[in-house]
Amino acid sequence: MADVKLTIAGRPYDVHCADGEEAQLIRLAAVVDEKARTMPGVTEVRQLLFAALMLADETQEARAKADKAEPQSDSLRAAVALAESRETAARDELKAAVSREQAALKELEAIRGHTPTATTSSNPAHDRALLQIADRIEALASKVEQLP
Amino acid sequence: MELDLDESSLAIGRIERALSRIEKALADRAKRPVAAPAADQSALKAEVAAVIGELDLLIAEAKRG
Repeated sequence: MADVKLTIAGRPYDVHCADGEEAQLIRLAAVVDEKARTMPGVTEVRQLLFAALMLADETQEARAKADKAEPQSDSLRAAVALAESRETAARDELKAAVSREQAALKELEAIRGHTPTATTSSNPAHDRALLQIADRIEALASKVEQLP
Repeated sequence: MELDLDESSLAIGRIERALSRIEKALADRAKRPVAAPAADQSALKAEVAAVIGELDLLIAEAKRG
């Protein structure tokens, strides 16, 4: 236990408290002392009474504020939860899109991997046909673009 | 004429770009419905059918290896 000497409304008090709580006790005493001193010229008992009343009033106000803030924190929590679920959904969607893209790339690579043997060495006729088709489709595109 | 892989890819790229041009032109055309002369349309249809037929043939041959 620790011994603390407090002075409230001009009167010294010897108080005991748990070790380590001395500073907090001194701070609390300073608050009470400050309230008590706002009523000069009255008896010490009245000073302490008014200090107690003012502190009770402040406590009540603080509680009311906390009660009012509660619904706001509820809606804030709901908004955060909604945002988090949307973020998760967006991430899942992105993940799925990336997997689809990777699968498509693999497929393309597989096709390209087979293309050289099919187009270069084994079947040059396909290459020629491909080139001719490219020419014809380009000509077709020009015709379609020039349609009235 | 022989093509190597890069030239084949270029040809495929040209085909893809031309198809995109056709798609865009048709989409634009759909927005402003103007009737083209019937002769032009049937010639165009014949050309499209011929190109599609050749493509089908090429794809079938490629599948057979």
